[in-house]
Amino acid sequence: MATRTEEDFTEATRWRRRPRPTFAWVAQVVSGVLLLVLLTAHMVAQHFVVEGGLRTYADVVAWIRNPVVFAVEALLLVCVTWHGIAGVHAVLLDLGLRGRAERIVARVLLDLAVATILYGLWLLYMLAFRG
Amino acid sequence: MIGAGLRRGDKRRLVPRWLDPHGRHLGSWAFVANRLTGLGLVVYLYLHLVILSTLLRGPEAWDGMVELFRRPVFLAFDLLLVAGLAFHGFNGLRVALVGSGLLVDRHKALLVAAGTLVGLVTLVAAVRIVG
Amino acid sequence: MNTPRTVLFKVLRTDPAAPVPRYDEFRVPVGSRTTVLDALLAVRRLKDPGLAVRHSCLHGSCGTCGMRVNGREVLACVTRLQELGDPVVVEPLAGARVVGDLVVDMEPLYRRLEPVGRPLLRASERAGPDRAEAAAAPGTGPVLEELERFEDCIECGLCLSACPVAGDPRFLGPAALAAAERVLEEPRGTEGRAVLGLVDDAHGAWRCHLAFECSAVCPAGVDPGGAIMRLRRRLLADRLPRLVGKSHPHQEVPS
Repeated sequence: MATRTEEDFTEATRWRRRPRPTFAWVAQVVSGVLLLVLLTAHMVAQHFVVEGGLRTYADVVAWIRNPVVFAVEALLLVCVTWHGIAGVHAVLLDLGLRGRAERIVARVLLDLAVATILYGLWLLYMLAFRG
Repeated sequence: MIGAGLRRGDKRRLVPRWLDPHGRHLGSWAFVANRLTGLGLVVYLYLHLVILSTLLRGPEAWDGMVELFRRPVFLAFDLLLVAGLAFHGFNGLRVALVGSGLLVDRHKALLVAAGTLVGLVTLVAAVRIVG
Repeated sequence: MNTPRTVLFKVLRTDPAAPVPRYDEFRVPVGSRTTVLDALLAVRRLKDPGLAVRHSCLHGSCGTCGMRVNGREVLACVTRLQELGDPVVVEPLAGARVVGDLVVDMEPLYRRLEPVGRPLLRASERAGPDRAEAAAAPGTGPVLEELERFEDCIECGLCLSACPVAGDPRFLGPAALAAAERVLEEPRGTEGRAVLGLVDDAHGAWRCHLAFECSAVCPAGVDPGGAIMRLRRRLLADRLPRLVGKSHPHQEVPS
């Protein structure tokens, strides 16, 4: 039965062996649960506690200089980017991507995720230290 | 590239299979809604990052933009965002549980529970935004 | 004299010679117990002998007459017209190559079932509350019920057609994944780890998006959706300890 598996589902079994898809699922679940907590905190702290719902420039800088806030926002950025890009990947997969196109798209998405996280972290840094 | 995702034997339609509404049951609608809210939230993520980049242009630019975002059309959009986020979050939690093999037989009841929570959160947000 | 009720059928016809499939219309007299299959066979007899339809048992146990009626996957032989409106739209199952009219190539379904292994009906020493009783009288009482529950799948392909993902030929699909879960529930000498490895794939159990259309349309009560979720729990129970750092993998496939 094992040999039959390889023949019939070569693309399924060969390229995708690493990383194990189970861990991709776990990453999506863990990031999702974290986001439930972090996004709720973010929405409440950013928009439902402040008078008028939006901070002025000075308030934003003061707020982001708090190390706990900085850390939470950074973690939120990483989680939401990972979770969102992984989700987009799943949608694209269901459009019938295969073979070379699939590998290229996966690479592009990974680069996009990294770029997004780096940009966000840079933005946080600029506000906290150079605001 | 999109061949595998199309329904065969139908009139020529370029609707990906997962968006095809024919013969749908409740679980399918939850899946489609999760996808659409997810994609919407990814789009919003990048919109949000672009908007936040205004902070780099200093207090005048940012504070001016804050005034713009207090307009009713933007507040309405914010409510939509909260609703979409709540749905994706609560249904996502259901997907995390059921998709890991827990409470599988209750997946419809979980959907109803998620929907109720979404309604509650949207209501609270609406009251807070209007107030 | 009452004129019999008639129903308008719109049947999707595929002719290898014609470039595009088209809907043919047939008005068919129906009674209170007429099924979709009855009507289609009447069309063949009275109007168009060229209408290609596949069927066998006429009572919902062979799985041959699967098709889409008003957009929903059903077995035509047990679908009463009285419960449907007028007109009735009849189309072949989705996601499979149409051989002609309402007949589709079932190869995609069988191809997926092969590597999983197809469990046969057999007695189980583990079934039933009383092992001694079960061993002494195989095939009676609660033992038989449990066995039949394993083997409900009639390989009709409705689940594969209804699944929003199964248009992708790489996806193992609900029928094969449910079969995999059955093999793992009671391996009986089958190599459980090979099956687990087969379904632990981006196009295996993890490709399911929990639409549960498969379970909604299954005419045999297999609940493939539920089976896929149980499969995922097995995978997590097997893979997570390694992630957390336990050095040796389980030898037995966890339940």
